[in-house]
Amino acid sequence: MKQDLKNKLNQLDEISRRQFVARTAQTALGVSILPILGGSSKVLAAGGGKAEHCIFLYMSGGMTHIDTFDPKPGTETGGNTKGLSTGVAGIEIGHHLPGLAQRFKDIAVVRSMTQKTGDHRGGSYWMHTSYAPLATMVHPTMGPWAQTLLGKKHATLPDSVVVGGGGDHPGPGFFGPKLAPLPIGDPDRGVQNSERPMTVSEDQFEKRLDLMNSFDESFRKKFKTEEVAAYTQFYDETLNLMNSEDLATFKLGNEPNYEKKLESYGNTRIGKGALLAKRLVKSGIRFVEVQSGGWDMHNGIDAAMQTTGGDLDKALSALIDDLKAEGLFEKTLIVLGTEFGRTPQINANSGRDHHPRVFSTMFAGGGITGGQVYGKSDKLGIAVEEDPVNPMDFNATIAHALGLDLTKVVYAPSGRPFLVAGHKLDRATDKVVPEGKPIMQFFS
Amino acid sequence: MNRNKSKKILTAISLLAFSSSVSFAEMREWTSKDGKKLQAEFVGSSGAGNAAKVKLKLANDTIIEYPVSKLSELDRVFVKGSLPSDPAALAAEIDKLVINKMKESYLGLKNDLQELAADKEMSVADKTKRKQEIEREIEMCMPNPPTNDSQFMRRIYLDVAGRIPSYEEASRFLDSRDPNRRAKLIDELLASDAFAMRMFNYFSDLLRVREGVVMMGNNDLKADPYIEWIKKSVKDGKPYDIMVQEMLTAEGRIWDNPAAGYIISDSGMRLCNISNTFTIFLGTEITCAQCHDHPFEQVKQIDFYRMATFMGTTETRAGRRDMMMNEGNYRDEVTRMSALLKEAGKLREMETRDRVIEDILGSKRVAVNDTENQMVSLPHDYKYDNGEPNQKVEPAAYFGDTVNLEKFASPRAAFADWLTSPSNPRFTVNIVNRLWKMAFGYGQIEPVYNIPGHLDGQAQNYELLTFLESMMKDMDFKIQDFFRVIYNTQAYQRESETLTPTLTQIDNGTYHFPGPVLRRMSAEQLWDSMVTLSTANPESMVRKGWDQYKEVMHTDTTTLKTVPEIEKFKEKFRMVGGLSNGEMMMMDRSAGNVGGEKMVRASEMAQPQQPSHFLRMFGQSDKQLIENQFTAGSSPQVMALLNGSITNKVLSDPEAFLIKEIVYGPGKKGDKVEKIFLSILGRMPTPEEARMASAGMRAKKDRDMNEKDAKAMEVKAIGDVIWALVNTREFLFIQ
Repeated sequence: MKQDLKNKLNQLDEISRRQFVARTAQTALGVSILPILGGSSKVLAAGGGKAEHCIFLYMSGGMTHIDTFDPKPGTETGGNTKGLSTGVAGIEIGHHLPGLAQRFKDIAVVRSMTQKTGDHRGGSYWMHTSYAPLATMVHPTMGPWAQTLLGKKHATLPDSVVVGGGGDHPGPGFFGPKLAPLPIGDPDRGVQNSERPMTVSEDQFEKRLDLMNSFDESFRKKFKTEEVAAYTQFYDETLNLMNSEDLATFKLGNEPNYEKKLESYGNTRIGKGALLAKRLVKSGIRFVEVQSGGWDMHNGIDAAMQTTGGDLDKALSALIDDLKAEGLFEKTLIVLGTEFGRTPQINANSGRDHHPRVFSTMFAGGGITGGQVYGKSDKLGIAVEEDPVNPMDFNATIAHALGLDLTKVVYAPSGRPFLVAGHKLDRATDKVVPEGKPIMQFFS
Repeated sequence: MNRNKSKKILTAISLLAFSSSVSFAEMREWTSKDGKKLQAEFVGSSGAGNAAKVKLKLANDTIIEYPVSKLSELDRVFVKGSLPSDPAALAAEIDKLVINKMKESYLGLKNDLQELAADKEMSVADKTKRKQEIEREIEMCMPNPPTNDSQFMRRIYLDVAGRIPSYEEASRFLDSRDPNRRAKLIDELLASDAFAMRMFNYFSDLLRVREGVVMMGNNDLKADPYIEWIKKSVKDGKPYDIMVQEMLTAEGRIWDNPAAGYIISDSGMRLCNISNTFTIFLGTEITCAQCHDHPFEQVKQIDFYRMATFMGTTETRAGRRDMMMNEGNYRDEVTRMSALLKEAGKLREMETRDRVIEDILGSKRVAVNDTENQMVSLPHDYKYDNGEPNQKVEPAAYFGDTVNLEKFASPRAAFADWLTSPSNPRFTVNIVNRLWKMAFGYGQIEPVYNIPGHLDGQAQNYELLTFLESMMKDMDFKIQDFFRVIYNTQAYQRESETLTPTLTQIDNGTYHFPGPVLRRMSAEQLWDSMVTLSTANPESMVRKGWDQYKEVMHTDTTTLKTVPEIEKFKEKFRMVGGLSNGEMMMMDRSAGNVGGEKMVRASEMAQPQQPSHFLRMFGQSDKQLIENQFTAGSSPQVMALLNGSITNKVLSDPEAFLIKEIVYGPGKKGDKVEKIFLSILGRMPTPEEARMASAGMRAKKDRDMNEKDAKAMEVKAIGDVIWALVNTREFLFIQ
């Protein structure tokens, strides 16, 4: 279907293409039944494309780099965070992350992330989309990009899921609600409203459906519009979904040895989020984002790191072990991201404030070579000293691991061109070219 | 500002002139649009809207008729008061134009059919296909039958009040034998609070009204004054052009001048703001021209920057350390008060600054003001010959009237005047096209945000569109008056179209509104209908507290010298909603709680709701982009209706309002099934439906069943019927 559209687009001259695109977008909003299967194939060049899935752990609030992956013990900005040996010569990480220090051979750290803005929403927007926030359009996030470039991964399950996200998630952006990641507010509760309420018996439910269909018969007969037909189809599909195995995958309690698993992941929001992400990936979902807060540590950073940092260490360590045990680690990319770092200077409230100039992120699994650090911050963790990585490069690295074509131009309904990891105009050729560059060192 | 004044003066002159012309019929000079002059006496008028004509008596006593549309603006104002403004007359005029167009199209299509039959080149298969297409279109060129009272009632409630009628409202209307009941209902609803709520939902999607106001910011600012201003403007019937002027020219802080919310929304995004202003108020998409000459329209990159330059001296923020407007230093005040609190042990161990104080005072830094600095210049990579990179340009409009900056206090005021002027070729067309779409489901021009430079041949019905345009101007942009005419047309009061118009039809301008398009309820209409089904008075629960907010923000903090004074100030702020903007600023936080859900009209709740809320699931806009609401279906929506608490608990459990107060309510005699059907679908059940619905209500005369069990069984069966009706497509769509 998508391919058909594209072919049609190419045959149209510019003006009608614009109209066509605009109109198509509108109808797609009106009726959205069309499955998007197919799409182009993976780009497997240079060690990329090994990841079939991605678990994106997003640390919302701004994860302190000095107290996690880029410790500066003994310096004036180091605070009370000590360095912990990773087993790789010359590399230490913060003492709040003992589990990850042990598993360092499996992880790759970026210490030279840099960002343009120090406000939460703006920073998060850049990290999620590779673009500056605009008041005239919303850019898509990685899950919907992957679905657009590779086609839908699973016939009945959604392609992307966001666990614990807030209202600001850019979601499908201009791809429209059809590609919206399925939101799971609370990992314990799974998909909202997916089960018949306890107060309604199966017989009663059937009876209600019969009544509904009878009462609605004359209306459906009279109004043969596409929208009415679409809703009737949604009812049929949803009733099928309710009876399918697919929904079971969203139930944490169905995990074998659930109690024991919970012990290792931690009975925390991030622990449960990570466990759910593993379940979803295992049943075929491509992109799962887990958002976890508590990182906006303006006050009392030491105490905050003990809980928030500790919870992360436990959950992420368990996730790596679990994916390995299930044989999923090699085909699942784990990414740890955040909107910015925190000021090297400790403030009057014993906390650290927003610091976009330099911060850290982390990658693992899905074809990433572990046991290494890319880039460098300066002695006090104030600025990038070597190999700066911006949000476009960050997303290019994820996209490369997933085998997405970084050069593929996709047009928004307004007719403007966009690329998965940002773009710029090449003045010489007047063509749009990719802006973000993957960290190739991670793929060798 | 300037034009408002001149408009008022003109009206005053015309009243004067008119009253004198009535008492002393006198000769005056008349001027036509193209400058021809004539001495004549005004003796009357005929027709309405575009067809309106003045009767003029010449010196030789002959009476001539002359089209009002061809008179000069001054003469139009002169005769305005004596033109028919009766909604019924204007509605009849619209109906004539709708039917004419349909007739014309019908004959054209019949002709196409004949030509097709005669076509010898086309293959049989293609011919058959084309024939079917034409026949389908012909079917849509015949006006649909008139609605019955039930259909009309449900539709007009949803369109004007934004929700279905309650049981009481439905029975009252359907029982009425007043021949003018439809027109009266339209009047009643247009004057209601419900209409202001409905229009707020529309405007908040268009203008992106959200808690925190600023798109990328710290969320501390309260949207309440702006929200209240929109509702009140609608309720008071403030002319739309004045509303827009107020938004574009507002100065100051949001609690002092709520209309400032519009400019503040795009704080820090100056260039996006000018694009948004064009899309919202002129139906024109110029975003492309921000980076390059527009490939399809006559708008160059330099035009974009000339336009943006009008707003280039307007600021929305002060420097980091200053509060705006010379109220002292913001940081110093925070430090002073925090120190007092710290000393009194009111801060946590490791804190030295009070976050609440910091955030309250921080929001004082947001305000709209005009400066001397021009902040817009051509981009650093400007590549055309008509300008240099980083060069400042003179403000200028690339269409419409030439702007004379000297007449205005600021370039911004000049821009607002240019934009809202009746002679701006897109300002009026944009709003009438949008309002028409609200009533009929499609605009005369689609998409509504991209009105082409020349309208003829682009609109579904060009004559009708220009009629609506001049009608709106004659009505001084009063939205209620405009809708009154639209809703009184036969065209609106016909049954909905049963087929989906094709894109080709929309593109070629051959869809002519045989009736309104069948529409899915908007998320807000659906939610507000659920509220109607679960509470006695859906409009009684309103968001309030914006005036207290203003009071708190007006506190001169330098007078707060003691810890108790500072604490009291913080408490006052907490009372008006505190720092979390997701909360409603309602005095009573338990208001509207039904079965664990907050059943309050969408316009009174946080804007927007969280993504998992019923409203967002059904397409409430996230308020990030202009018109970002959607009505597409999805599985989560269906699951919410099948399994969610609204349908299973709020509406259908034994304690539900519908069951307790309507079906078994005091003084509510009558058939139970009829009451449910009337409440939910606004119509009576067919005999077959009534039989099916009541089948489960009566026990099969089980002798052992006591009265209590029998009642419980009946209540359960009623709940099933309610659930089933709310799950029908008939409920979800606006017929």
